[in-house]
Amino acid sequence: MSENNSGLDFSMVIASIVHDMKNSLSSVMTAHGKWSQGLPEEQRNTAERGVIDYEFANLNGMMVQLLGLYKLGVNQLPLRPEYHEMDDFIEAQLAWHQEVLDSRGISASHDVDVLCPLGFFDRELVGSVVANVIINAIRFARGAIHISAWEEDGQLVLGINDDGPGYPPALIESQSAYVQGINPVSGSTGLGLYFAARIAERHERNGVVGRVELANGGSLGGGYFKLYLP
Amino acid sequence: MLAYNQKSFLIVDDFSDFRSSVRSMLRELGVKDVDTADTGEQALKACAQKRYDFVLHDFNLGDGKKNGQQVLEDLMLDKLLSHESVFIMVTAENSQAMVMSALEWEPDAYLTKPFNRAGLAQRLEKLVQRKTLLKPILQALDKGLPMEVLAACTRLTQEDARYAPLCHRYKAEALRDLNQHEPLEAFLKTILADRPTPWAFGALGNLLFKRKNLAEAQDVYERALKTFPMLPALYDGLADVLVARNDGKRAQQVLEDAVKLSPLAVRRQSLLGKLAMENQDFDSASRAFRQAVNQGQYSRFKNPETNLGFAQALISKGGDAGLDARSRVELNQTLTDVAKDNNDDQGIQVRTRLIKATSLQRSNPEEAAKLAEEAVSRLQSMDQFLSAEAALSVAAQLQNLGQDEAGVGVLKSCAEIYGDDPQVMQNIAKQTDDPAILGSNKIAIDYNQQGVRAYREGRFVEAQALFRQALALQPKNISIALNLAQGLLHAKGVPITGAGLEECRACLRTVGHMPESDARFERYQKLRNRAFGA
Repeated sequence: MSENNSGLDFSMVIASIVHDMKNSLSSVMTAHGKWSQGLPEEQRNTAERGVIDYEFANLNGMMVQLLGLYKLGVNQLPLRPEYHEMDDFIEAQLAWHQEVLDSRGISASHDVDVLCPLGFFDRELVGSVVANVIINAIRFARGAIHISAWEEDGQLVLGINDDGPGYPPALIESQSAYVQGINPVSGSTGLGLYFAARIAERHERNGVVGRVELANGGSLGGGYFKLYLP
Repeated sequence: MLAYNQKSFLIVDDFSDFRSSVRSMLRELGVKDVDTADTGEQALKACAQKRYDFVLHDFNLGDGKKNGQQVLEDLMLDKLLSHESVFIMVTAENSQAMVMSALEWEPDAYLTKPFNRAGLAQRLEKLVQRKTLLKPILQALDKGLPMEVLAACTRLTQEDARYAPLCHRYKAEALRDLNQHEPLEAFLKTILADRPTPWAFGALGNLLFKRKNLAEAQDVYERALKTFPMLPALYDGLADVLVARNDGKRAQQVLEDAVKLSPLAVRRQSLLGKLAMENQDFDSASRAFRQAVNQGQYSRFKNPETNLGFAQALISKGGDAGLDARSRVELNQTLTDVAKDNNDDQGIQVRTRLIKATSLQRSNPEEAAKLAEEAVSRLQSMDQFLSAEAALSVAAQLQNLGQDEAGVGVLKSCAEIYGDDPQVMQNIAKQTDDPAILGSNKIAIDYNQQGVRAYREGRFVEAQALFRQALALQPKNISIALNLAQGLLHAKGVPITGAGLEECRACLRTVGHMPESDARFERYQKLRNRAFGA
């Protein structure tokens, strides 16, 4: 990419390696899924299985996020919003995480406000944000997560709630600093928040931009992540 | 749960591991009927033989192969896939395929690898639900009845207003197919005022362009690209508008941006090559044409003009220094390919020989002269009409190769065939001052215009006489011949006689030699079907 060949564009090197890593991981995941289907029942649902499934999903989510951040950095993140059925979108997310949820014994539920069955957003981008939030919720949940979609002041809100201990107060207090990238963006939580905020704000309608909000509480009492899409 | 055992599936992927893994997921869901293919060509063949309910197609089937987007376009354009069937594009990385996609043909869903059985089942289930909801629309689409599509959209929207946005696009496309320009424009503007939507921007730009409202079309595309700078289809639209506004320089820049995003697009690369040639940017022209030729091998947009353009660009790039060794190899290859592929096309045979001759003019004048003579003799026995553009470049090459007389002949016949187009006449004037060519058609064109006026005012017999007079002066002029044919066939209150029908058929036989790329070809086909029976 650089004009002279004096050095490597390190972020591009990382991005292309992550891209290949993601493909490798994808093959491993598919092969593992197939292999474990063939196991006898008693060997299938072990604690190790839970770890493997969880970390597969976690790794995949981090790589998607890394590639997304790279593209965001070089201004190449495509945005392609469309109308989507909210129950379809949420069910697809939960189906994709089904093995992890099962092996961790977490029950997942969802509800969609009947008055707003459709949302207008980029499915891939918002999907990658929601996937990361779900992975995070699964890590801390005791036994349940709940996803809901409703309308608030003409905006679509996607809420992801768990019954874990909740986000650390310090994180909630300084969330705007993470969102703006002021706090050193290190660790997956801060990075995830930064990525989510960037994706949210690419969704714009008549001057209103999307945003994210962290809180504790909700019906399950634990961490409560909200994504606002105008 | 769906009754999967009744449904047929086609899995297309170049990795056998992936095919077998998806096949076993489908088996677990109760699917019995699964076929697989590892190339796009095989997928098309399979769909031609059997109606599939579901196609799971990997986007990237390897370099130099048809990709999923191309297969989808082929399936839809050749009507090999029902609108009720589900097409899922499987991608390794989520954004890549979407950047490549054309706005016109989008898959029903994207599915990112890796996916699990539960994820696949959920997508299938939901897509079937959606197709069931939209069934009346999809059936009308399969039947090719836009009026019915429109009615179905209205009905669905009335039944449940919450799902109205799902009908937007079908409604817009039906209005487009029905040429209901004003309602379509108003509808698209309402959608865009509410939310910036990529396809609606594309559709509005296209509509304004079609209606020659170029300034507004440009504005729409420029606004669209501010919000969606990653969608190459919008760049294509803007480039078309800029070309129509005679801003070839900017059109080239815009397409350069688009190929940076998405180089795999035959039409885009060839148009870029053509614009770069006009802008005398021979480096870019040869680069773009090279891409277009290579990609075109597997595309439905394969076009002999691309090969000829590539050869021409290489010659121009070499300039006075002549061709280097690599360019010569490329030139010979591309000309050999196109001559072989178009064995029966006399025009292509003439043009390949002339380009080859031009390339040899310095290094091997004897061979060049021999090829030029061969081209001239083929030209003399040719019935087919060259397009105006091709005729002009053939004329220039002939003159350049010392075949002045033949060059003048080509210009003369070009002036006869296309003389009613002032743009063509201007370009002819760049090559000759001969009043016999430049002025020869004035009287005929005048009669033709009077004829058109008479026809519009319902004076059909008079119109026929005027067209007849015009055609007697310029027997090969496409517009005049079509006008006479139409004037004879469609004259209200003046039923066509046996002699009239013969005269009409004779007109159509003559202009039947026009190139298929001509804008009037469709009109010709309609008249021919009418005059000769479909």
